[in-house]
Formats: sequence, C-alpha cells, structure tokens
Amino acid sequence: MTRADRVLMAIVLCTLPLLYLHFWTDQEPATVLRMQVADMDPTVTPLTPDRHVQLAGPIGESIIEIRAGQARFLDSPCPGKVCVHSGWLREAGQLAACLPNRISIQLLGNRPRFDAINF
Amino acid sequence: MQIQTTAEDQRIAWLAALAITIHILESAFPSPLPGIKPGLANVITIVVLVQFGWRSAAWVSLLRVLCGSLLLGTFLTPTFLLSLGGAVCSIAILWLACRLPGRGFGPVGFSLLAALAHMTGQFTIAWLLFIPHPALWRLFPVLLTAALLFGTVGGIIAGGISTRQRQCST
Repeated sequence: MTRADRVLMAIVLCTLPLLYLHFWTDQEPATVLRMQVADMDPTVTPLTPDRHVQLAGPIGESIIEIRAGQARFLDSPCPGKVCVHSGWLREAGQLAACLPNRISIQLLGNRPRFDAINF
Repeated sequence: MQIQTTAEDQRIAWLAALAITIHILESAFPSPLPGIKPGLANVITIVVLVQFGWRSAAWVSLLRVLCGSLLLGTFLTPTFLLSLGGAVCSIAILWLACRLPGRGFGPVGFSLLAALAHMTGQFTIAWLLFIPHPALWRLFPVLLTAALLFGTVGGIIAGGISTRQRQCST
C-alpha cells in the first residue's frame, strides 16, 4: 500500500462511524397522526394528550392508542391481528393498517416527503 | 465492411470479456442484502487501470456493464441503470485519483475509491428514482461498510494480479 492508500483508508475508517451516527440517530419526530377509515376522508389528530380513539370500520370497532407521541392499534376485530402486531409507530412516516377493517393510521412529521410509492 | 482494430482494441475486448465472465458468474451467487455484492469484476477494472491506464479501464468497465446486462437480460431495466450509474461514478473518481501527484494511489486505494463511488452513485440513483423514502438512508452506512470491505479485498487481489503479471512479462 502506498501512503495515499493508507491516508485514504484512515479517512474512510474515520468517516464511516460518523455516517452511522448521522443516519441512525436523527429521526424526524412525528407531530400528528393521520387516520383513515375505508373511503372516507382521513382525519388528522395531534399526538397529545394520551388517549384511546375508537374507529368504526366495516367489520367492527378498532381501538387506536396514542401515548407519548406514539400510536398503535390496541385492538381490532380482524382475524389475523396483523395491525396489532405491527406494534408502536414511533417515527414520522411509519404506517400500520388493518385491511379487514379498512383502517390505516400513519404518523406524519412536519415535512411529508412523498404521497405514495409505486413499484 | 472491415473495421480496422488496433492491438489496444483487442486487448480491451479480451479484458472486457474476462470482466463480463466474472460479472455473470458473480450474479449467480445469492446476495445477503440488496445492493451488497463482492464486485469481483471490478478487480479487472483496477488491474487494467494500473497496467494500461484510465482509458482502457473506462472501456472495460462500461463494456462490462453493457454486455453483462445484455447477457443477463437486464438491459435498460432498473438494475442496468443502477449498474451503469455505479460504473460511471467509479470511473469518474478513478479519473480524479489518477491525477494525484507523487506516487499516488496503489491498487488498494483505487479499488477502495471505486467501490465507495460505485456504492454512493448506485445508492443515490436508487433513492432518487426508485425508493424516495428518507428511511432508505439508514442503509447507506451499512452498504458503505460493505463497499469498504469488498473494495479493500478487491484491491489486494488486483495488486496481487498486477505484481504477478509484471513478473511474468519481465
């Protein structure tokens, strides 16, 4: 290895931890929760105070829990409970949905980066 | 019509064929994570760069991307765009790296720079065109770590090949 190689290697080795630090720690805090039932217009609600929200969907009532700036499906009348198992939503952009009950919730931050992704 | 080829053209064709072969063999191996791949074909690019200069290396690299994609059936697909973007970025950074005064970089430095540039270019394209989600950037340090690892290993291999070749030719 030449000297330039060694210098380059040292720079890269020093920069990598900084990149990890940069990309793995700064998350945009969520400010509001957007809830949508079936084809109705979505409702946007602030993340304070802590509370439970009941949403009536086609097959019954889903309960959303909002606590400490986070949100989750506490209960839903669906058979699989995928929505409940997706757990707490913590960061802006995270989304959980109960397809059988046609309810989706998403945390939003101050600057929404995109509306939809299509593959 | 007969196209006149020079010795350099033929050398580039041979080396590109070698790189394409490695490229295709490598595509048969499963990848642990999308975007992570040893990039052994780039070893050829580095060897060519060290022995025959930047122009030949650029030819070999671009021919590999083009012909590799035609043979694998990914021509003009997103995979191809990513591959081409990465190759163009690494060639560009190698062009700069060749101009470093003094003894300059050795194979390891070239390979490392190329791998990092390849990954960064590819990642940026993936982010701009295909998955414009801010969470994607969390993968970036992981992918760069892989690039560091494979770039260094590739550079050591390229260095080994170059010295052995020089021994053969003298």
